[in-house]
Amino acid sequence: MRILAIDTSCDETAVAVTEDTKVLSNVVWSQASLHAKFGGVMPSLAQRMHEERIDWVIDKAIKNSGLPGGRAKLKIKNVDAIAVTIGPGLAITLGVGIAKAKELAKKYNKPLVAVNHLEGHILSPFAETELKISYPCLGLAVSGGNTLLLKINRIGKYETLAQTVDDALGEALDKAARMLGLGYPGGAILEKFARSTNSGQAQKNPYSLPIPIIGHEERKIFTYSGLKTAMYRLVESEKPLTKEKIQNLAACFQNAAFTHLVRVISFVLNHKSYSIKHLLVGGGVSANNELRKRLRKLGKEFEINILFPYTKKLCSDNAAMIGIAAYFKTQREEFVDPEKIDRIPNAKI
Amino acid sequence: MKIIRKSKGAVEETVRILRKGRLVIYPTETVYGIGAEATNPEAIKKLTRYKNRPFGKPYSIAVADQKMAEDYVELNQTARDLYKQFLPGPVTIVSTGKHKVAPGIESETGTLGIRIPAYKLVINIVKTLGKPITATSANASYQKRPYKTSDVLDNISQKQKQLIDLIIDAGELPHNEPSTVIDTTLDDPVVLRQGEIKLKDKNEVLSRSEENTQNIAKELFQRYEEYLGKRPIVFALEGPMGAGKTVYVKGLAKAMGIKETVISPTFNLLLTYDQLAHFDTWRMQNEKELETLGFIKMLEDKNLVIAIEWAERVADLIKKYRDQAIIVWVKIVYGKKENERLISWGTL
Repeated sequence: MRILAIDTSCDETAVAVTEDTKVLSNVVWSQASLHAKFGGVMPSLAQRMHEERIDWVIDKAIKNSGLPGGRAKLKIKNVDAIAVTIGPGLAITLGVGIAKAKELAKKYNKPLVAVNHLEGHILSPFAETELKISYPCLGLAVSGGNTLLLKINRIGKYETLAQTVDDALGEALDKAARMLGLGYPGGAILEKFARSTNSGQAQKNPYSLPIPIIGHEERKIFTYSGLKTAMYRLVESEKPLTKEKIQNLAACFQNAAFTHLVRVISFVLNHKSYSIKHLLVGGGVSANNELRKRLRKLGKEFEINILFPYTKKLCSDNAAMIGIAAYFKTQREEFVDPEKIDRIPNAKI
Repeated sequence: MKIIRKSKGAVEETVRILRKGRLVIYPTETVYGIGAEATNPEAIKKLTRYKNRPFGKPYSIAVADQKMAEDYVELNQTARDLYKQFLPGPVTIVSTGKHKVAPGIESETGTLGIRIPAYKLVINIVKTLGKPITATSANASYQKRPYKTSDVLDNISQKQKQLIDLIIDAGELPHNEPSTVIDTTLDDPVVLRQGEIKLKDKNEVLSRSEENTQNIAKELFQRYEEYLGKRPIVFALEGPMGAGKTVYVKGLAKAMGIKETVISPTFNLLLTYDQLAHFDTWRMQNEKELETLGFIKMLEDKNLVIAIEWAERVADLIKKYRDQAIIVWVKIVYGKKENERLISWGTL
């Protein structure tokens, strides 16, 4: 099943071609790919206007999908379905992708699949991998807009176990970096600073920050606004900042943020009535090595396989994951009428 | 196409080629890059043809040092600190450009990414040339990361090969990640500078908890609720990071009878719940973005409540609509004790 997938949920214009769970091409137009592999988004007006670049990105995704191994050049008329993200995201940008998908579906007479962006993140570990999953399993999406823990009864059947009530994890990391004068988006740089404390001298971090809702994980929420406030006060009191202070503050913030995340997941694992063998993890923050380390440790403790996307390119926003989520939907014959498809900016999973 | 080793004379030969507006593939501390003289429009056109990407997608540039960077970009304090910390090194720092490079190098919004590679050869080339060169990876767009010259050559067409005049071959490079990009322009005073805010009336109250803050939001909503149906109400929220702007909006939403959980709209820029539109301008570069997201159109809906976080960044735009909407300016600042916040408000 070859799918042309489109995602314009926020800053990136992303298009991919997938075949079942294989990624034939994955093109993302973003600030990140302009200059380097990761980094992030430049929230400018022009760049949010996906219209002027979507055709080019589609064209590129189609062209790239034909390259390796001399595969015959693919054309849109040869794909089996068109998939598009309908939410959650920003209404005006979602609209651009949906309009284009609708146009292509009609023009080439292809079935259309509507995909939830979060389902894309959760299912991204299936890309390029033969996964033998026993259900129910858990899914975790950690990104700039969401922190979400799900029970996956089977693909397509989800129950929310815990979710963001204020700032998402990725947003919290970016904001902490900004407080430390590290620019935007600073999540990746924050990680670099935090890492340099671990490898250096073994002295203890002189700072501490409160772990959000510690001891009250039964509330099953992810909350970072209180931690952000505590960080702000701490950073203000430590100014002027030196490199060493920035390193310690970065490590301290990451530690508190990840500890909270892991404690909530642990609570859920300790109090469930069903057996879990797998945890699927996706979203931009799943590229963070410290977070991966902690989740793997958690996995050992509970004898759970922790599964990440096969490449970090599939952590941040992309359309390959939309193609993969769409593939499973086509197996269930969940198509949508091009006349009825609409954006759902507040879409829940 | 000529291939040379990284040896004596390589710098001079490279500079000679670059001066003619031609393309050179060169090693760096990350991946192989492709260089064109960044102030030469013909060279940049050629590069865009090589990279096979549309005109308008920006390139970052390599300079020799911070002094040279300042000829091409405005450095704010954040940028200066980052330069001190990371450059030379594998980090690209984006600032507001001075429009001194060829068209197509700066982004559509006039920002420019600067690299100072921790790689002596590149620094020497740029120094000798006296001009910056493009610092984009040598692969065609969306192809394999080039750690050796064959990664480039095996993945490009004959046509593309013909566009390259020189390759400096330093063998296989250590597989370091490409540079990390940081944008410093959100901290530009130019973006943030707005006119003074003058309130008709001013009130102040001390909040001792999140719950307190939410109750204040409820009371304020009730005070202005009578205008709904005649005019939309805008709650313009100002206050430092972590002061409790989203907490305030949670209280506002509860007062309006909204059952959904209100979360921070920083990433999405706009979240809507029934008759409440919740904006966050923290990631916006100018007030025009608020317009693009439909703010002005929304003001036609007389039953709508609009909350805007970081309102001081768009104060001038909001002010223009004070006759059309009820604008309540709410400022939240940190108090003396940990959970204390001073909340002041007034109408514009």
